[in-house]
Amino acid sequence: MTSTPPIVDDVITAEVIRGALLVAAEEASIVVVRAAHSTFIQEGADACAAILDADAQLVALSTATSLMHAASLRCSLPALIEDVPLATMRPGDVFAMNDPYRGGIHANDILVFRPVFAHGRVRFFGGTLIHVADVGGVSAGGLAALATDTFAEGLMLPPVHLFREGEPVREVLRIIEGNSRTPDKAVGDVHALVAGVNVIGRRLDELIERYGAAALTRFTDEWLDGSERRMRDELRLLPEGTYHGSFTIEGDGFVPGRRFVVHAAVTVRDGTIDIDFAGTSPQSGGAINASFSQTMSGVIYAVRCLVDPGIPMNEGCFRAVRMQLPPGTLVNPTPPAACGGRVITVTAAIEAVLSALAQARPDHRVAPSALIHVYSLAGTGDDGRPWVSLFYDFGGIGGRHGVDGPDATGCYFLGGRSVIPQIEPLEAQYPFVVRRSRLVPDSGGAGQWRGGLGTEIVVEMLADAELTVRGDRIELPPPGVDGGGAGAAGVYAIERVDGSTEVLATKQVGVHLAPGDRFVMRTSGGGGLGPPEARARDAVLADVASGRVTRARAVRDYGLEE
Amino acid sequence: VSDPRWFVGVDVGGTFTDVVLANADGDFHVDKVPTTPADPREGVIEGVRHVLSRASVAPADVSRVVHGTTLATNVILEQTGSPPAFVVTEGFADLLRLGREARVEDDRYDLFFTTPTPPVDPQLTFEVPERVMADGSVLRALSAEAIAEVADRVAAAATPAVAICLLNAYANSEHERAIARALRDALPDAFVVASTEVWPEMREYERAMTTVLCAYVGPVMAGYLAGLEQQLAELGIGGPLEIMDSSGGVMSASLAARRPVRTLESGGAAGVTAAGLVGRLIGARDVISFDMGGTTAKVGIVRDGRPGVISDFQVGGKGSFGGTRAGTGFPVKITTVDLAEVGAGGGSVAWLDADGALRVGPRSAGAAPGPACYGRGGTEPTVTDADLLLGYLEPGGLAGGVELSTDAARAALARGVADPLGIAVIEAARAVHDIVNANMAAAIRVVTVQRGIDPRGLTLVAFGGAGPMHAVRLAEMFGISSVAVPLAAGVASAVGLVGADLHVDVVQTRVIDLADADPLELEAAFTELADQARAELADEPGTAFQITRSADVRYRGQAYHLTLPVPDPPLTADDVVALATSFRQRFEDTYRIALDLPTQIHNLRVHIVRVVDKFAPRARKLTLDGPSAARVGERGVVFPGTGTGTDTVVTTLYDRTRLVPGDRFAGPAVIAAPESTIVVPPHTRAEVDAYGTVLLSLYDPSSDASPGIVAPDS
Repeated sequence: MTSTPPIVDDVITAEVIRGALLVAAEEASIVVVRAAHSTFIQEGADACAAILDADAQLVALSTATSLMHAASLRCSLPALIEDVPLATMRPGDVFAMNDPYRGGIHANDILVFRPVFAHGRVRFFGGTLIHVADVGGVSAGGLAALATDTFAEGLMLPPVHLFREGEPVREVLRIIEGNSRTPDKAVGDVHALVAGVNVIGRRLDELIERYGAAALTRFTDEWLDGSERRMRDELRLLPEGTYHGSFTIEGDGFVPGRRFVVHAAVTVRDGTIDIDFAGTSPQSGGAINASFSQTMSGVIYAVRCLVDPGIPMNEGCFRAVRMQLPPGTLVNPTPPAACGGRVITVTAAIEAVLSALAQARPDHRVAPSALIHVYSLAGTGDDGRPWVSLFYDFGGIGGRHGVDGPDATGCYFLGGRSVIPQIEPLEAQYPFVVRRSRLVPDSGGAGQWRGGLGTEIVVEMLADAELTVRGDRIELPPPGVDGGGAGAAGVYAIERVDGSTEVLATKQVGVHLAPGDRFVMRTSGGGGLGPPEARARDAVLADVASGRVTRARAVRDYGLEE
Repeated sequence: VSDPRWFVGVDVGGTFTDVVLANADGDFHVDKVPTTPADPREGVIEGVRHVLSRASVAPADVSRVVHGTTLATNVILEQTGSPPAFVVTEGFADLLRLGREARVEDDRYDLFFTTPTPPVDPQLTFEVPERVMADGSVLRALSAEAIAEVADRVAAAATPAVAICLLNAYANSEHERAIARALRDALPDAFVVASTEVWPEMREYERAMTTVLCAYVGPVMAGYLAGLEQQLAELGIGGPLEIMDSSGGVMSASLAARRPVRTLESGGAAGVTAAGLVGRLIGARDVISFDMGGTTAKVGIVRDGRPGVISDFQVGGKGSFGGTRAGTGFPVKITTVDLAEVGAGGGSVAWLDADGALRVGPRSAGAAPGPACYGRGGTEPTVTDADLLLGYLEPGGLAGGVELSTDAARAALARGVADPLGIAVIEAARAVHDIVNANMAAAIRVVTVQRGIDPRGLTLVAFGGAGPMHAVRLAEMFGISSVAVPLAAGVASAVGLVGADLHVDVVQTRVIDLADADPLELEAAFTELADQARAELADEPGTAFQITRSADVRYRGQAYHLTLPVPDPPLTADDVVALATSFRQRFEDTYRIALDLPTQIHNLRVHIVRVVDKFAPRARKLTLDGPSAARVGERGVVFPGTGTGTDTVVTTLYDRTRLVPGDRFAGPAVIAAPESTIVVPPHTRAEVDAYGTVLLSLYDPSSDASPGIVAPDS
């Protein structure tokens, strides 16, 4: 028995358990990414793993993956527990679900949970989430840019058993297979998710054996409380008041010129932050709606950018943040609105919250960023089997107070890895040749702190293919702030083999490409912050030297002498 | 007749340059001189001169000088090189500038993050009209005019180095080679390197970055090594200069100058190699290498006698997993020891975070001001201060040339830890000791459990200034029952240098479905790779080599592979089938999921070793006299985790320099040695083997020291 005051043991044990929980979540996310088949995941852009407790509270989140899903696992688990009460769960059970109206995101983002038991009771859950390969819907690969309801977006999974006491539920896997254009990849991805929760299960079993379930639960409860306390302490450092921010979305791809607005009223008071989205546009008939869990992920992310980044990401962070998400709006749609393009609304919500909070903290002012520009290509291979894949590039980040926006980088929200895909692995797998991939000079919004540059890629087809595109902040490129200029608008276009050029809409499906046709995609640049004339001359000269700004534009925008 | 062949190993560390002079008969001498950061060669020459004169060995009798250097890493991290010209396929000038950044952990919430700037200058980047396809066919031929034009433009840029990386060159390197030839003709003094000469693997970003970093460091490395060779020659040393590479082998100085990125983990590799040598002496094929110095602890693994390696290294990488997070630094495609590095060393500072939780490191008090007990102006509590108060170091004893002050250590721990937490100073010391152990345990976990390797049954080889003080408690946490501390533990990495053979790793991307792989075609591809590796290792004919072959295999459509051994030639159809089968098995073992999908080879790999004359430790006769001659006193020491809390336990002190082979005794004991003290807790037996290694066996471990993460005190 210990002969020393318990405080020392608690300090040590806390440090050790904290590390072990984070490592477990991390290890699970690495396993999921490595075992995945979907190209989207292999770069680590769209994956998440977490440990949750029996009350569906987020305990630990993987630390190198996207923050896009910070809230999804915790929002979905209550639905699982509602359908399958804890008392009826058995060791070895594994569940899957993807219903955006019960905490999910959209069809392709499948969430998998595994309960962890001690003394016959569920104590914790391991959860994993990735964008899996094709699960049906109107558009191959899950990019249903013009879906009008969830039915068009693919297979809908209520909480279902994938494994029952360790035995695979083959019927469910067959349903997923039967709904996928690329069944091997889809089932492979689902297995990768299971591999991830199994890792968490094993690690938690070890911890429970080591420390006992009661001690572990006591620790995690305290850990969550600690995060809450620190969040509130940090929020108290912000000047109290109500701040407003809004962001305009260029459209949903249906009614030309119809804009949507996300409005946030942010009230900081007594260690709590209240974010009310009243005034946000009604939900869209298209696919740009964000399910409530996605909006929550965006909001928690934006708030966390203004507090100590060292606060452990867990349920405690959510407790200090209240959100009012009016039903029937973009940020909390009602069924069966489609949600696949939610990144457009979530990032608009982030911009709105950041813009409001910048009034409380002017040194945290940032200009809006470009979004991920997505496209999918699908065709039939020489072997007669269908192929389909999602591809993407990133645009520029907006200028930040004191520092330029990075070039061609995923918006903040994606966190984790945000990388431009490499050409060689793509050409080795798909029937096209990339003719060019570059940064676009002059695409960053002019400003005292310049926006980051967008990119251009030119893809020449070697076989017939169907193209789908989904971009945003193109008709209305990322605006400048405080006198800064807007980023250059991106474009989706086709240079036909006959020499003609077609500019596509920012959201368009089923465009046929013939061999020799070239698909051109330019991503938008980030907005500029502050008046360009205030930009340091050395910075302008450095931009000219690095090719980010042409001399002509340096003369025009920044008054550089000719 | 004395053997004229002496080997010199020189390992340049952050604070000290360690030198070992050894021969194949097991004689050896060690020395330590201060590192000279402005020009590390000064310290190297000083150390070599010193050790030779102290050992009375003539410079002419030195047949090899093996050098571990951090030069390449320093040049890249401190950006002291000059950007090379960069020659690339038309349309892809921005290849390295297109963001491939990754943010991890707390950085993800930083609105003001910046991305590392790659060492290329757009004005020194030259596009060439040519295009090779993924299958190696040529879409757009490279004309003689285009070659001449790029040669002219590069010549006009007058950079000291040129890096060439063309798209899909891994599948067909004709164009790259033609340009490299033309540039070498046109610019005989420039450092010219093509991506397929360095690492012909698919994924242009990593390949180009590796090539550019090679060109960035190349001229500096070449100058450094040429100068060092000359200075060694001036000393009268005729033997060749060789450099430790990143994966535990040695290469000639000329190869290191041409492929400097291969030396990026030179220092870390020397440590793991040393641990492998120790393992060989004590008959352990699988060991964990644990090197704890002043600022960091490095943990590596040796499997079946060879250092565990990875092929995705990040220079300047971030994150808490050994800095190997993809996208957090510059990726370099070289074979590197699988090293988990944590900011945990003797100088690591203890502090309280915003929650009031006690943390240790990663910041280090370093050599200046150093731990509080050094009395050099340090006031923050460090691990060394805690270790001193626990009784592991001798109060008033010497370390790093200074007298250790218990009062200063106590004051620092009281102010920084004990008072704010409301606990006794000795409890604070114990907590600091335990937390730094927990941090290092995370590193052990990375290279063992996270790789699917069960640490139980492995031997922990502990060295570095602080390693042998913490080793037994770390071993306990993982259910490891055997710890080995080599002779000269404080300079073990330098010993690793003189004990290594020459070797080289080569790779070639070949995407082949295993279902229709032709064994003859595979055999031919492997033969070609082996020939290339042989050419890199030696010019002289008749040299003997050991060749091992492996292949990266994956399910078609996956981006990650597992590396599997490939049998010696000739390959048969059965071998190909077996490769697919063992891949499926390994995949299931690794990920606990079984998939029924086509399998595919992605890369072929060849590892080739040239065995050379090297240091071989000599066994001495065991004596049965007992260790009484080495017993130098007693001291009260605290042993956490043994049921005695923070009470001091009367502990026997030994002087390691007086221990002889065959000595054995039981803990609790502390073995003092120059630069590296060994702590032998209760329930541990110590034994000195024929090579002078101190072997520690843990017995009757406390009832709850199960193989979990950490045994809490009970």
